[in-house]
Amino acid sequence: MGFTFLNTAFLFTAFAALLPLIIHMISRRRVDAIDFSSIRFLKQLERKKIRRVRIRQILLLIIRSLILLFVALAIARPTLRGALDGGVSSHARTSVAIVIDDSSSMSRRTNGGVLFTEAVARVRAIAELLSSGDETFLLTASSPTEVVIGDGTFSPDVLDAELSALEPTEAGTDYRRAVTAALGYLAESHNLNRELYIIGDMQRTGWESEVGSLVETSAEPGSPAEMAGKRVRGYLIPVTGPTGNCAVTAVCVERRYGGTRGMYGIVAETRNFGARPCDIPVRLFVDGVQVGQTGAAIDAHATASAAFSTAVDVNEWHSGWIEIPTDVLDADNRRYFVIRPEERIEVLVVRGNGTAQSGGSVGAPGSSGRVGAPGGSGRIGERDDSYYIERALDPTRRGERFHPVVLTAGALAHQEQGRFPVVVLADIDRLDDAGERWIERHLTGGGGVLAVLGDGTDIRYWNTELLPLLAGGAIIGPVERRGGMRLAPVSAGHPLLTGLVFGDRLIDDVAVRKALRVKIDGADEIMEMPGVGPAMVATTPPVGGAAALLYTGIDPAWSDIPRSGLLVPLLHRIAGRLAEPAARELDCVVGGDLAVPYAPSHSGAPVVLLPDGSEEPAVRISGPRGGAVLRRVNQTGIYEFTQSGELHALGAVNLPEQESDLEAVDEASLAELLDPLEITVIEVGAALEEEILVARHGRELWRAFVYIALMLLALEMYIARPRFAERGTDAG
Amino acid sequence: MPDESYRRFLDPTVVSKLATMELRARLVVEGFVTGLHRSPYKGFSVEFAEHRQYMPGDPLKHIDWKVFGKTDRFYIKEYEEETNLRGYILLDASASMGYGEDRITKLEYGSYLAAALTYLMLKQQDSAGLLVFDKSIREFVPPRSNPRQLHMLLSELDKTEASSTTGIGEVLHELAKRMKRRGLVILISDLLDDPDKVIPGLKHFRHMKHEVIVFHVLDPREAEFTFETDATFRDMETGETITTEPLAIRRDYLDAVGEWTARLRRECAESRIDYVPVLTSTPYDRALFSYLEKRKRLG
Repeated sequence: MGFTFLNTAFLFTAFAALLPLIIHMISRRRVDAIDFSSIRFLKQLERKKIRRVRIRQILLLIIRSLILLFVALAIARPTLRGALDGGVSSHARTSVAIVIDDSSSMSRRTNGGVLFTEAVARVRAIAELLSSGDETFLLTASSPTEVVIGDGTFSPDVLDAELSALEPTEAGTDYRRAVTAALGYLAESHNLNRELYIIGDMQRTGWESEVGSLVETSAEPGSPAEMAGKRVRGYLIPVTGPTGNCAVTAVCVERRYGGTRGMYGIVAETRNFGARPCDIPVRLFVDGVQVGQTGAAIDAHATASAAFSTAVDVNEWHSGWIEIPTDVLDADNRRYFVIRPEERIEVLVVRGNGTAQSGGSVGAPGSSGRVGAPGGSGRIGERDDSYYIERALDPTRRGERFHPVVLTAGALAHQEQGRFPVVVLADIDRLDDAGERWIERHLTGGGGVLAVLGDGTDIRYWNTELLPLLAGGAIIGPVERRGGMRLAPVSAGHPLLTGLVFGDRLIDDVAVRKALRVKIDGADEIMEMPGVGPAMVATTPPVGGAAALLYTGIDPAWSDIPRSGLLVPLLHRIAGRLAEPAARELDCVVGGDLAVPYAPSHSGAPVVLLPDGSEEPAVRISGPRGGAVLRRVNQTGIYEFTQSGELHALGAVNLPEQESDLEAVDEASLAELLDPLEITVIEVGAALEEEILVARHGRELWRAFVYIALMLLALEMYIARPRFAERGTDAG
Repeated sequence: MPDESYRRFLDPTVVSKLATMELRARLVVEGFVTGLHRSPYKGFSVEFAEHRQYMPGDPLKHIDWKVFGKTDRFYIKEYEEETNLRGYILLDASASMGYGEDRITKLEYGSYLAAALTYLMLKQQDSAGLLVFDKSIREFVPPRSNPRQLHMLLSELDKTEASSTTGIGEVLHELAKRMKRRGLVILISDLLDDPDKVIPGLKHFRHMKHEVIVFHVLDPREAEFTFETDATFRDMETGETITTEPLAIRRDYLDAVGEWTARLRRECAESRIDYVPVLTSTPYDRALFSYLEKRKRLG
């Protein structure tokens, strides 16, 4: 923003600032010369008094010159130049891209109503500044970005109608994507004046997807968007509301074994995003009926868990939600979940060839059961990893959810391909060629593999053959500590750990004595050992299927996992995720794709009954396990996948967790994010129209100059008064 | 001339308008004497001088009862006093003594004061001498008590002009060495010299058993620094200049002058020297009183 004068003809008056100097020079010549008897006393005073007097005189001279200078400059009407200067006329056509935040956080209540209403009012105020011929683009900042007006034509009626139709969604915020899209529109504009308006609560989580400048990271150097970023003037128009908010951020439903059939444990994670502690009731609803209530005392910026138990019929789909009381943001006070009917999943547990077993081998294709059940011997030394894995997967030994089949590595190639959704490589040293090809076909077909490393792992073989097949990466070497290493969660929000994490520790304090340090490319790490570093569980992105690695053996000699409460839920969750690569999530967040398992036997596309009562067709997913997907869900609640009036699956859609954090990003971060855009932040409560006009055309500063001149005058009068002069010398 | 009309000759500005130094001296002294209840000229030694009419305040023991018996009036017997006091009047004639705005200069004031003192001293049958000095002794008239001495001293004072720099300390030391007989030293000066030199010079006289009176003459503007506008001050002795804003430094200037005079007063008191500060606006009777007091103490 430059500096200029509107009345440059009056700039010559600035020479008036020289008047005090001239008068000083003249009066200096006219100073009376007085013959005095002796100046010995004056000389005594010169060092500390008279010099001070001279400094005061110089100070007064400067102040008087400045007074005249500021008055002269004020007459010349100093102005901070706006964005529209130089060759670009302020009357030239303007392209305006408006990004309005319609995410869920904009539905929060304020004293005057709903925050989104304020945002819409601001857009209308901007529209008042536009004229025919200007281009207008209107985009939303919810995820995914919606282009409401993309053709650029400005029509007050159309804009008004579109704004009237807009409502806050239940989606999360993605300012970055919306701004990038808006810059793209502006880049294609032929108008020289280009303005980007961003209106919303500036929620920090809505900007945080990447680090660095949004403009630079979102556009290649030299691209239109990048160039637009350099020529566009940005206006940030925050609308603010209360930020103290509590939310249900996660719900974990888990089958409980050993008790009544159909008993489920439900753990709800609640989080207080506000600065004050809160004590709230947490209610559980199943199939529309409240079945439980407990309380949660949550400190500021902390989480708390609420645990429930409920019994339901295992052969049916059930839906429910966890609910907390109404607060500033209602959308996150309820979190939905579904309980799917028990489905028996066969898991193939492959043990090492050299492992001693007390029983015989049942490796024949089509057979089920396990190899070498150690129960007969009762010697713990014979209980290898497969023993604990088998019991963790089927604790009741009735095969209610997982039916493990244990065999040796040599027998793997003889197994029916496609029968086992999940294969566990339980501390095997190596596979033969046939076994490798079997695993490769298994993964290609969408199957899941859990590799448990341990004593038997032939590191060289794994690094050259199996790890490239499963995930890529390498085993670096062993880590061993007699005293053990505590496991700590590094991905507390990961579904594998939901309900198992309390602060920085797991449900049990699990010590690991031996592990292999592994480096996996692009792994989704879950746990680490503090001071050692490597993650304990890494799930890799699905390439056809999915793979997970456990770096420590499920063996008492390696870790406490076999004895801990972590074993069953951890293995169940890993196996459950690996078993459903095509339709992994039964719940998702608004804006995402809701995928449910859908038996291949059902032909045709299911119809989805949405929470608001409308219907939409789902898309079938082909593959060994199959599934159905509803793309880009836009409301929270329970979705029913039906076919011919018959319910086949349920899915739950919730608010993105980050949307509950209502904290706004600070201006400095925004400026960094939007660099090199020239940004004007229009504060809450400021006169929008005036601020924009000032930013466009500049701000006159003559009042400020006059005020400065008056202040200088007051200062001059204060310094020039005789008492000050005496005090000034007294001080010396 | 009525008695009271003499009193106006105690005002320095009036005196300065008189034509001759002798006239000035005589009128000042007469003006001073008319204000006294007793004549300063006559003492009470053994040699009878005359009778005069008793005046209230005269001691009763000096009433001549024989005359009272004859005339039924009170007369006082007066005697010629012995003349044995040697008075040295030291007049500073340095350039700084030439300062004086509006009114008379310090040198003029000092000259008139010296003339009056000379007149008074000779009238009292004391011998009076004069020493005019600046940085050295410029003129010296040894003390005598003959009638021609008055004319000589007054003519000397009449032609004295201010010039050159001050060297009070050296002059005092030199004179103290010259004076063999004990006497009364009257210094008339602005003392604008280094006090560390002036004070030892005065003490030198005391060491030689002389009595000393210091008339410290200052112009009112020197003492009060009543300048208002910015000015360049030029030292009358050295020619040095300094430009300043008098209003801004007045308080500090007065503090410095006060400190200086206080030191002189204190040091003189410690050495039993009569220190009499006078401004050029001060009537002469104050100075003459100081002399008479001193004279009285000397008997």
